[in-house]
Amino acid sequence: MSATVSKTTDRGSGGRPPRRRSGRGILARLGPLPWIAPAVLLIAVVVLWPIYELIRTSFLKISTAGFVRGSAGTDKYKQLFEETDFAQVITWTVIWTVVVVGVTMLLSLGLAQLFNQNFPGRTVTRWALIAPWAASVLMTAIGFKWMLDRTAGVLNTLMMDLGIIDQSKDWLGQPGTAWPWMMFVAVFVSLPFTTYTLLAGLQTIPHDVYEAAKIDGAVGFKTYLHITLPLLRPAFLVGFVINLINVFNSFPIIWGMTKGGPDSDTATTTVYMFQLKSTDIGESAAMSVVNFAMVVVLVLIFLKVSRWNKED
Amino acid sequence: MNRRLIATSAVGVAMALGLTACGGESGGGDGGGDSKTVKLVAADYGDKKSNASKIYWEDVAKRFEAANKGYQVDVEVINWNDIDNKVKAMIQSGNVPDVLQTGGYADKVADDLLYKRSDVLSPATEKKLIPSFAKAGESDGTAYGIPFVSSTRLLFYNKEIFKKAGVAEAPKTWDEVKEAAQKIKDKKAADTPYGLPLGPEEAQGESMIWELGNNGGYTDESGKYTINSKANVETFSWLKDNLVKPGLTQPNPASTDRKTMFEDFAAGKLGMLNGHPTLIQMAKDGKVDYGVAPIPGKTGPLESTLGVADWMMAFKDGKAKKAAVKKFLDFAYAKENMLKFDEMYHLMPVTQEVADTMASDPKFKTLKPFTDVAGGAKFYPLGDTTWDAVSSEIKKSGGKAVVDPKQTLDDLQKKAEAAAEDQ
Repeated sequence: MSATVSKTTDRGSGGRPPRRRSGRGILARLGPLPWIAPAVLLIAVVVLWPIYELIRTSFLKISTAGFVRGSAGTDKYKQLFEETDFAQVITWTVIWTVVVVGVTMLLSLGLAQLFNQNFPGRTVTRWALIAPWAASVLMTAIGFKWMLDRTAGVLNTLMMDLGIIDQSKDWLGQPGTAWPWMMFVAVFVSLPFTTYTLLAGLQTIPHDVYEAAKIDGAVGFKTYLHITLPLLRPAFLVGFVINLINVFNSFPIIWGMTKGGPDSDTATTTVYMFQLKSTDIGESAAMSVVNFAMVVVLVLIFLKVSRWNKED
Repeated sequence: MNRRLIATSAVGVAMALGLTACGGESGGGDGGGDSKTVKLVAADYGDKKSNASKIYWEDVAKRFEAANKGYQVDVEVINWNDIDNKVKAMIQSGNVPDVLQTGGYADKVADDLLYKRSDVLSPATEKKLIPSFAKAGESDGTAYGIPFVSSTRLLFYNKEIFKKAGVAEAPKTWDEVKEAAQKIKDKKAADTPYGLPLGPEEAQGESMIWELGNNGGYTDESGKYTINSKANVETFSWLKDNLVKPGLTQPNPASTDRKTMFEDFAAGKLGMLNGHPTLIQMAKDGKVDYGVAPIPGKTGPLESTLGVADWMMAFKDGKAKKAAVKKFLDFAYAKENMLKFDEMYHLMPVTQEVADTMASDPKFKTLKPFTDVAGGAKFYPLGDTTWDAVSSEIKKSGGKAVVDPKQTLDDLQKKAEAAAEDQ
């Protein structure tokens, strides 16, 4: 008998007599739980539940009208992998990610170095660099889309007036020219964040390291290669991995400029998933799941890398 | 404090769960709620604020409510780009509208979601429908779709550009199209000689017009898909070799939408293209001196051009009474309402009485060439329950047929057959 009583008070499920004392006890035992509970619930509702729904949908057979006709098993995945465009979409996703992240990192290294120097107007230029970051990516993409427009675009007008081309070009109409332009825009919007990350990294490198190097006779590029770069590694890695995830998942630039078209010739997996929505929601969900798995891998790399940073 | 926090979050979760539960409740059942409120979802035909379809429908709703005490209409107007996805989401969550006005109906028939036409339209109203359109509303012999507006396609040409290029009259055959386009190009009479919009907006329309010119089409007599038929492959190969490659069209037809081409034509930058009545007003606004002619086919002008209709349909699982839906639809199909809508957007009527009124009114003179060919017009396989799925595949990749005809059409055929098998 006494055992059961003590059990109920232990659980704190509302045994009446000892209530006064246990009120505090339960809360104490719960520790920080009540405080983080809202956040946990929020995550459960806006993150975990959608993921569950996403995975569930990828195994459903849904008619074009949107009517759920029952389970599809793994058919939708099979269908997805058999799409003629699938291999090409994956290839371009890799090229897109590698090129955009690579170019962004290289340019940012240079820019960060530049902004780390003392020169007149540095504050103004530093502010100016924020502009592409502060503007909405979709807005930037649409802005470029119209600049590149075949009939109304300012670029065609300019090039025709200068006599570089004699007929206006449809830059975004074919993959051959659309990809480079979209990559350009992607680099353009990724530069500010990356540059600032690297700039912050540069500013944490103590000055005496350079002085010591100078005394030892290191000059110019050698200093950069052997002193700056290794010390910049933590900032570089953070910038690199965050860019990797961002660019891989990038939707607004491509959607805003070509919608992945013609067909799926300028689509990455994220855009392709959106295109599939209009033909088959189940298949689109399957693409999402594949995409999600790839992001998880990238995130795991990120965690690994950041731990590696700390250990160092 | 703590306890309150927990309580609040508990309420939050309960609400979230409750909200999601709401979605799943309706569905099933075979007909009609008991509400006197009709929920209408309709597409937006307007291209600016002043002619948004919301204005039209709210006015109809207000007059309907005034004439029928106790009844109400909830209007939701969605733009064309979003309407398919939003309706899909409504169906998926079991939250269907009572009445829907959009581009296609047959995919909803496949899942048995719609009322038969005779259930929600009085015989008097049903009799008013022009027979060819009424017939297009049938799926497997039973009528579900109620035509709402229609259009037919003709060749638009810019008279001034033709004169400058020395083209005496509108082309009647494909070869004449090529010849005229070449002249326009040689004389630099226009930026683009021939407009070929095969982008996602309406690739299925432009493709079918060209296929009809070679006695092709999407289906054969028995209704089987024939997208990669010899005639169709031939059609696109001709287009590729004779118009696209020599640069007689705009560059990249597969990524050009009809809207862009219409704008180019209205700006006087385009020699000729296939268009529908909306272009009349656009050309007028742009002060373009245009002419219309039958669409050229391989050996002569098309006898039956492409006819397109948009549809009205009523959902069985809506919350409104069947009688309320019927009352509303009969009201919406009254002559004055239909006429007003057609006039507002330069579209063609689907009821005989409106067609007669238009024929006798000089105000609609410019529409006459289009209404004249409506009788013999050919439609998409609208009644086929897989058509909507196939149509979205064609919208997405059909334009590439002018780049790689055989491969693209084979691919589409495969998808169409898979869709047909899936039914």
